[in-house]
Amino acid sequence: MKLLGRLFWAAVACAAAFCLGGIALNRGEHINSIWLVLAAACSYAIGYRFYARFIAARVMALNDERATPAERLRNGHDFEPTNKWIVFGHHFAAIAGPGPLVGPVLAAQFGYLPGTLWIIIGAVLGGAVQDFVTLFASMRRDGKSLGQMAREEIGKVGGIIALITVLIIMIILLAVVGLVVVNALKGSPWGTFTIAATMPIALFMGLYLRYWRPGKVLECSAIGFVLVMASIFAGRLVGEAPEVAPIFTLSAMTLAIGIILYGFLASALPVWLLLAPRDYLSTFVKLGVVLMLGVGILFVRPELQLPAFTRFVDGTGPIFAGKIFPFCFITIACGAISGFHSLISSGTTPKMIAKESHAWPVGYGSMLLESFVAIMAMIAACVLQPGVYFAVNSPGGVVGATPAAAVATITNWGFPVTVADMTNLARDVGETTLFSRTGGAPSLALGMAHIFARSGGGQALIGFWYHFAIMFEALFILTIIDAGTRVGRFMLQDLLGHVWKPLGRTSWMPGVIGASALVVGGWGYFLVQGVLDPLGGINSLWPLFGISNQLLASIALCVATTILLKMHGAKYMWITCVPLVWLVSATFTAAWQKIFSPVPAIGFLAQADGLEAALRAGRAANVAATQTLLFNARLDAVVCGLLMFLVAVVLVDSLRVWASILSGSRESQVCEAPFVLSRLRAEEL
Amino acid sequence: MSKLRRLGELALALLRELADENAYRRHLEAHGREASGEEWRRFSEERLRAKYARAKCC
Repeated sequence: MKLLGRLFWAAVACAAAFCLGGIALNRGEHINSIWLVLAAACSYAIGYRFYARFIAARVMALNDERATPAERLRNGHDFEPTNKWIVFGHHFAAIAGPGPLVGPVLAAQFGYLPGTLWIIIGAVLGGAVQDFVTLFASMRRDGKSLGQMAREEIGKVGGIIALITVLIIMIILLAVVGLVVVNALKGSPWGTFTIAATMPIALFMGLYLRYWRPGKVLECSAIGFVLVMASIFAGRLVGEAPEVAPIFTLSAMTLAIGIILYGFLASALPVWLLLAPRDYLSTFVKLGVVLMLGVGILFVRPELQLPAFTRFVDGTGPIFAGKIFPFCFITIACGAISGFHSLISSGTTPKMIAKESHAWPVGYGSMLLESFVAIMAMIAACVLQPGVYFAVNSPGGVVGATPAAAVATITNWGFPVTVADMTNLARDVGETTLFSRTGGAPSLALGMAHIFARSGGGQALIGFWYHFAIMFEALFILTIIDAGTRVGRFMLQDLLGHVWKPLGRTSWMPGVIGASALVVGGWGYFLVQGVLDPLGGINSLWPLFGISNQLLASIALCVATTILLKMHGAKYMWITCVPLVWLVSATFTAAWQKIFSPVPAIGFLAQADGLEAALRAGRAANVAATQTLLFNARLDAVVCGLLMFLVAVVLVDSLRVWASILSGSRESQVCEAPFVLSRLRAEEL
Repeated sequence: MSKLRRLGELALALLRELADENAYRRHLEAHGREASGEEWRRFSEERLRAKYARAKCC
C-alpha cells in the first residue's frame, strides 16, 4: 500500500475510533445523529477493506481464474453470470426486510448505545462474515442450499434440523410481522384504507402485466407507485369523512382475522395475479425509502433525544422484559447477524456471481449496507422524545389502559410526556391516538416522518409522511406474509409428500389448500395469541423470533466453521467460531431465561404459573381467556425448548465432526466442485 | 459525463434485474419466442415458482 493510502486508512480508522468513543462516552447531552452515521460508515470501511480482504485472500483464496457455477452451469434461468453491482443490489433487496427496521426500534428501550454498538460490531465481525462465508461455500458447491451443505459437511441430522428450524422460524416470523402491521393499523382509518388499496392496485398490476403489457414490470411498477401515492392522499379524505371512516376503523382482532384471510387467499391465488406484482412494487418502494431515509438523515442531521442508556438496562423494560445481555442481541438480529441471510446467500445469489472476487462486495458488502439500514432505524427511533417513544411503544397492560395513567407511569420513569403532547402529535399525523401502538412500526414511522418533514414540506406534511412510512412498512410486511405463506406451504408439502405422495404435488388443489390452511393456521394462531396478550404480544413473540433467527445463524456458522476447518485445519476457524460462541451464549441464555426465568414478564413458565394460580384462587376476571393465555405461555415455552434442542443437536454433531477432524480420525475432505478454468470476461457483463 | 451515463445504465440494469425484465428477456431468447401474455404467464409460473420455493428473508 502506498504512503498516501496508508495515511488515508489510518485517518479512517482514527475517525471510526473517535466517533465510537464519542458516542460511547457521551453522557447527559444530546448527541447528533451524524456521530452514529460516521462511526458506522468508518467502521464498515475498515472492516470491508481489511478484515473482509484478509478473509477473501488468505482464508477463501478467491480465484477469478476459477469458473463460478454461473459460468459453468449457465442456463439462462437460475445460473447466469451477472454484473457484480447488479448482484449486489439483488442480494441486498433479498436480505433487507422489516427485521433491521423493527429490531433496533424495539432495542432503543435500552438507550441508543447498546443497540448501536451491537449493530456495528455484530455486522463487521459476525453477520457480514456469516453471509460472506456461506456465499463462498455455496458458490464453490454449485449453489447448494444451507440444508444441503449441512447434510454434506456435518451429517444428515444437520440438514433435516435446518429444514425444521426454518419452518418454525417462518411461522413465528409471519406471526410477529403480522402483529406489527395489526398494531400499526388498529383504529387508523387512514392507514387501513391505504393498505387495503394496495391489494386492488396489485391485482390491477397483475392483470396489466398479464394482458396489456406482458413483461413490462418497471413501467407497471411506476404506475402502481403513482396509484399507491394517490391512495395515501385518498386515505386522508377517508379518515376525515364521518360516513366512511368507521368502515376502515378496525379493531386489532378484526385486522388480525383480515390478515389471516388475506394470507390464505394470497397463497392460493395464481402468483402472477397478486403476489408477484406486489413483490415488485414493495421491492422498489423499500429501496427508494431506504435511500430517502439515508439522504434525509444526512440532510437534517437530527439530534438523538433518547439517552445512551435508559433505566431499563436492568431488565424491567416495558416493550420487552430482560437485560441487555442477552436480550439486546436477539432483539436486533437482521442488521447485526441474521440466520435468514444464510438462506439467501445459499439460494439465488451464488448462481449469479460471475467471478469469485465478486463474493466480497456482494456477501460482505451487502450485509454492511443492511447494518447501515438498522443504524438509520435506530436514529429514527431515537429522534423521538423519550416520553413519546415509550408512550407509543409500551403496552396498556404495563403503563395503564388510559392516557392519563400511561403518561403518569412514563413520567414517573423520568421521561416526561403529557396527554396534550400525545393528542397533538396524533392529530398532526391524522390518528385518533398513538398510545400503546406496540410493535415498532408506528414509532419508526413517527421518526421517519419527523426526518422527512424537516427535509421537505415541514409540519404541514407530517401526516402524509407518517402514513407514507406506515404504507412502506405494511406493504413489504404483507408481501412477506403472502410470499412466506407460499414458501411455508411448499416446505410443508415437501415434508408431507414423504408421508403420502399426492400431498407433495404443488398442482394438486386439495394438497395446496390443506397445506396453505395448515401454514396460515400456524402463524395465524400465534398472531391471535399476540393480539390477545395483555403485555402486547411483542414481549413474547419478538424474542421468540429473535431466538429462532439467531439459532439458524448458529447452524450456518457451524457449517461455515466445519468448512474452514476442512480447508485449513484449526488455523482460521476462529473467524466463524468467535461469532458462533457469542451467538450460542447469547441465544441459549435468552432461550433459557424465556422458559425458566422466575420473573413472569420474562419466563413463559413463570407467567403460566401465575395465571394458573389466579385461576385456582378464582382471581381471573375471564376464565376462558386466562386458560387460553395459560396454554399459550406453555406453548411458547415448548417452541423455545424445541428450538434449543434442535440447535443443540447440530452443535453436538458439529463438535463431534470437528474433534474427529482435528484428531485425524476423520478425513477432512472439502466437498467443492472441481476446478474449471474461467473463460468469462467479467468486464463484458 | 461518461461515468455518469455508466452509473445510470447500471442503475437501470439493476432495476430491470429486480423487476425480472432481464430474466424474461433471457427466457425469450433461450426458447426463441416472442413476448406475449401467454409467454409472460408461462415465465411467471416457472420463475416465481422457483423464487417462492425459497424462504423469504426477514
